[in-house]
Amino acid sequence: MPAAITKEGDQLHIVGADDLPESRKRTGRWLLIAVSAFLVGLFVLQALFRAGATDIGFQNWRPVLYMFVVWGIALGVAQVLMRGELGKRALFVLPAALFVASMVVFPLLFGLTLSFSNWNLSSLEGRSFNGLDNIRQMWGDPFYWNALKNMVYYVVAVSAEYAIAFGLALLLSAEIRARKFFRVVFLLPLMLSPVAVSWMVGKSMMEVRFGPLANLARFLGWEQPAFFSNPEIARATIMIMDAWTFIPFMMIMLLAGLQALPKDILEAAKVDGASAWQTFWRITFPLMLPVSVTALLIRIIFKLKLADIIINVTAGGPGGGTDSVTSFIFREYRDRSNVGYGTLLAMVYLVLIVIFMLVLLNVIGRVMRRQDQGAP
Amino acid sequence: MAATDTMRRQAVTSTGTAEADPTKSPARRLRYAAGRVLIYGTLILWAVICLFPIYWTVTTSFKIAPDVMRGHLIPFFDYTPQWLGWRSLGLSPDRLGEVSTVRDEFLKRFTNSAVTSLSASFLAVTLGSLAAYGLSRFSYRFGPMKNQDISFFFLSQLILPPVVLALPFLVLYKELALLDSRIGLILLYTLTVLPIVIWIMRDQFSAIPVELEEAALVDGLSVWGAFLRIILPIAAPGMVAAFILSLVLCWNEYFFAALLTSTDAKTLPVMVASQTGSQGINWWAMAALSTAAIMPLIIVAIALERYIIKGMTAGAVK
Amino acid sequence: MKTEIYNRLMAMQASRRNVLKGAAAGAAALGATGTLGSLSSAFAQDSLRAQILKIPGVGQGSPGDAEWQKVGELCLGGTKETVQEGEFNGVELTFMGLNNQNLHNFLFRGFLKPWEAYTGATINWIDLAQADYNPRLQQSIATGTVDFDIIEMGAPFEGDTAGKGLLNEMPDWVPGLIDADDLVGYLQAPVGTWDGKPYRITIDGDCHTFAYRTDYFGDGSITGRAEPPTSWEEVNAISKELIGKTDPLTGLPAHGYLDPLKGWGGFGFYFLENRAAAYAKHPDDPAWLFDPDTMKPRVNNPGWVQAIQDVLDLIAAEGSYPADQINADPGTTAFQQFLAGTGSMLMWWGDVGSNARTSDTSVVGDVVGFGINPGANRVYNSQTGAWEETYNEAPNMAYIGWGVYVTNRVEGDSLKRKAAWSAAAHLGGKDLSLWASAYPSGFQPYRNSHFQFDEWEAAGYDRDFIEDYLGSNRDSYNHPNAAIEPRIPGIFQYYSVAEDELAKGYAGQYAGAQETADAIAAAWEKITDQIGRESQIKLYKASLGM
Repeated sequence: MPAAITKEGDQLHIVGADDLPESRKRTGRWLLIAVSAFLVGLFVLQALFRAGATDIGFQNWRPVLYMFVVWGIALGVAQVLMRGELGKRALFVLPAALFVASMVVFPLLFGLTLSFSNWNLSSLEGRSFNGLDNIRQMWGDPFYWNALKNMVYYVVAVSAEYAIAFGLALLLSAEIRARKFFRVVFLLPLMLSPVAVSWMVGKSMMEVRFGPLANLARFLGWEQPAFFSNPEIARATIMIMDAWTFIPFMMIMLLAGLQALPKDILEAAKVDGASAWQTFWRITFPLMLPVSVTALLIRIIFKLKLADIIINVTAGGPGGGTDSVTSFIFREYRDRSNVGYGTLLAMVYLVLIVIFMLVLLNVIGRVMRRQDQGAP
Repeated sequence: MAATDTMRRQAVTSTGTAEADPTKSPARRLRYAAGRVLIYGTLILWAVICLFPIYWTVTTSFKIAPDVMRGHLIPFFDYTPQWLGWRSLGLSPDRLGEVSTVRDEFLKRFTNSAVTSLSASFLAVTLGSLAAYGLSRFSYRFGPMKNQDISFFFLSQLILPPVVLALPFLVLYKELALLDSRIGLILLYTLTVLPIVIWIMRDQFSAIPVELEEAALVDGLSVWGAFLRIILPIAAPGMVAAFILSLVLCWNEYFFAALLTSTDAKTLPVMVASQTGSQGINWWAMAALSTAAIMPLIIVAIALERYIIKGMTAGAVK
Repeated sequence: MKTEIYNRLMAMQASRRNVLKGAAAGAAALGATGTLGSLSSAFAQDSLRAQILKIPGVGQGSPGDAEWQKVGELCLGGTKETVQEGEFNGVELTFMGLNNQNLHNFLFRGFLKPWEAYTGATINWIDLAQADYNPRLQQSIATGTVDFDIIEMGAPFEGDTAGKGLLNEMPDWVPGLIDADDLVGYLQAPVGTWDGKPYRITIDGDCHTFAYRTDYFGDGSITGRAEPPTSWEEVNAISKELIGKTDPLTGLPAHGYLDPLKGWGGFGFYFLENRAAAYAKHPDDPAWLFDPDTMKPRVNNPGWVQAIQDVLDLIAAEGSYPADQINADPGTTAFQQFLAGTGSMLMWWGDVGSNARTSDTSVVGDVVGFGINPGANRVYNSQTGAWEETYNEAPNMAYIGWGVYVTNRVEGDSLKRKAAWSAAAHLGGKDLSLWASAYPSGFQPYRNSHFQFDEWEAAGYDRDFIEDYLGSNRDSYNHPNAAIEPRIPGIFQYYSVAEDELAKGYAGQYAGAQETADAIAAAWEKITDQIGRESQIKLYKASLGM
């Protein structure tokens, strides 16, 4: 998030007359209190109804959801009434924040409860708390660590994707004919669904006997082409398939960055007699750093969720060689209905990713700042 | 090869200004030519890499079993195209006139996919643009959270492995009576693509000079007035780019669609995945369905490609 | 689980069209009078069967929606006996099943359309992919989101559903209507029952049969053996002998038995079971996966370890499997290898052999024969803890076939209950099932009445082929030592984790067969503890009828 690491304070300063009449503030306050009370009341009523304590209530929680929407609108109105200009600013972020919060709070809390439970969906007893047992089990679970180790490989592979994407972006921004054609074509793989890619590429094109890729490999001198026969090759194959769909994503971001480069600097470099190589390393690449960081970060996040292709093509095999954390959890969770343990693994993974991302952002922030200072 | 054809056509119509001026010495001209060959060679190679799997999918949908087993490549040359795959979807010419339960099923899912992904992308771009604008212009404080934390809060939704949310969402949606409804899917998809929209749009807005709004404010527009009248039109290409990316992610989503829908809100990817049973794969049917499933996005890509690059360019370099 | 047999049969019929012309006309005439009801009911019955076997008829292509509806219409007799026209007006039912291309729900929709028209009920459909079936079912049960009244389900899930009281007991009037006594022996109780109460209308029977390439055996064949193998020891020996030889048909390297070495959402474990059944399913003991008194896994006893060792030996013998076998799941071994002419021996549900014979879907042509699961020259006795040097065979009734069940959502509404069972009974009807077993449906023959070869021959089918194909099924079903799957809760969890551990063992990440088997056993113990050992013991015994 390069942009987040900028200065504090408003970019856009607004001088507004903010001495609102007291009556207006009061109206806002009362509106908010009234609607909130109504929402809480409705919630309590429905909860009691569900618990069987009262006879009045709704068939499901849907009316409470509607009430929540009404509350959200009232909150917005109240903000404007109470805080004037500041309230209007809050209205920009408020809808998204409320939406996300309402969508994830319950699932996350529920997920946290699950992750400290012993719950196999097939169990007759249902869910029961088991404290730290799941963590202990995770500690001794070689599959999980193996999957984490694979994730390191997968993430490292992003650097190669970045290099290719950068190269393609440079090519596309060079003086070439039929640029639009190539741009569209290079973008296409991004549009394909991972499920379709798994089947049509992973299973059909790489089929050992009749797949065109196998035929090509034979033509190139690989006598017994086998794309998934040992862990290293299988992992590389998965990486390539995943890279194929996502290189366009990085490529368009980088291409956009290249097109936005200030032309005068490049012209100046040319006039100074710098070679293309020098121009790239001294000017283009440093200027492209912010875009590169954004592209890489988004790509890494997508990479960390890599699963569809693995589930469909190798199911983690051979011997866990291609397993990603998500595909491993997927099997634990869906095939074995081991919900408690599966959720814990996912939660731990989430925490690891958040730490990783925070560290990464921090480091990047520092590097960029140093570079800003280093620049004349 | 289609690539070279197009290039040749372009070459004919081109005015030639794009060509760098030919240099004088033969050695440099040679080097220049070699460079060109290398560049076009790489471009064509990568174009083939991008196009071949799509070509394979489309052609496979016209094959029958022996053609698949023998790895035939070129229609009319080494095999005769058949409508078998498309017939299984009720979309071959001879079935188009007839009543077909399979085609009805396909169209229903197609509609569901279209409605959910378009609505979710629209909702996400709306919510996300507002939030991104706010975050790029003002400093907020929600309790201990400042702008950077709020951004990270949004971003972290992108990190969440969907598996974590599976069962909780099932329970939540059951209580809200949202299971097997398009609304339920739309809300969930909005949640999953919102972070990326916010990310893209925030860079977009940051790249737009604040002076524009300041001028507008001086002219008497309110904050919202300035945003709607001045900023939005400038950021529109970026929003289109964000919209398309959202569309791609929603259209292809499989996991939640399989989990949360049963009869009314089923989408296409679920149908693609269910082609595989205990009976082996009918590659032709699989390919036909895959083709039908990827075609809309390919058309979108071809039609709107320039907006994607243009949209992202605006916010690319500050 | 058979599909494309129909194509082959049609191909044969086409060539005999002239011979059959007379017979077909006769049958059609009988059919017409039969439906008029002017003949005795037994005779009408027979003619009805002959009549539906003619739908869509010789050379008319694969059956589709129109044919399914027609068959459904003709087989409504049982419904008309038990239900008044329009009796279920306004009743809505929800049906959950698989949506494999042109199978399962596709057929049910067609079959039930005339039923809906007659009774006045309407049915909503939930279609699931095979891979989503188990998780979806488990999650519905666990979160209380069971939203279906009728479900197409395999017997292994009876523990998960009937064991939790989610199913509705079959009413008295149903067994007679569907002639439940006609089911082959192993599909009779305890299968389909729980605590002695019946729940299941069977619509399919499952067993793995042995398919082999006939051109690999006989005088002067590349194996040099006159007969196909009857024991796994022989199978393994042949696989090793074939290394370096050339397939007589394709000219590519020849291979022997095709073990799927990659998991398949739990289904892959059946294929190790095929091998292990011979070594570990002792005739005196119905249990073979667990000890019925303690639920201690038997999967790491010497019998099972031998089965794993056999596979490991073949992996070690380079060239005995095709390249990339480590990434081959059962779908690959059957449809991309065996049918494409790679490999010479395979275990699979009934249909792959017939598939192989259909010339337009495979390259192996008419060179496939059938048999039952190979045996072994010794069997491990868990009771005594010792090997017994006797020949033992144990066909694997993998999955025990699909059935139709009614959930307890219909309880308290007697009209809805009757409607649900009536619909289920329609699908499980005796005559309709004959059609389903003869045409692509996703279902195998499963009634004694399906094995009347004369009926098939009269309908125009090739006698030798039918005897070979149906015979291998019948012999497996009726085998006294058939290995029957435990119907305990979470059975597919056991399979799924076993697959994962096996994949690691095959990839050489464990020291050997014993260590792999121990890892599976440890994982199984964990699952048993999690689900509840006491209840699992009880349910395991119940499911074995002990």
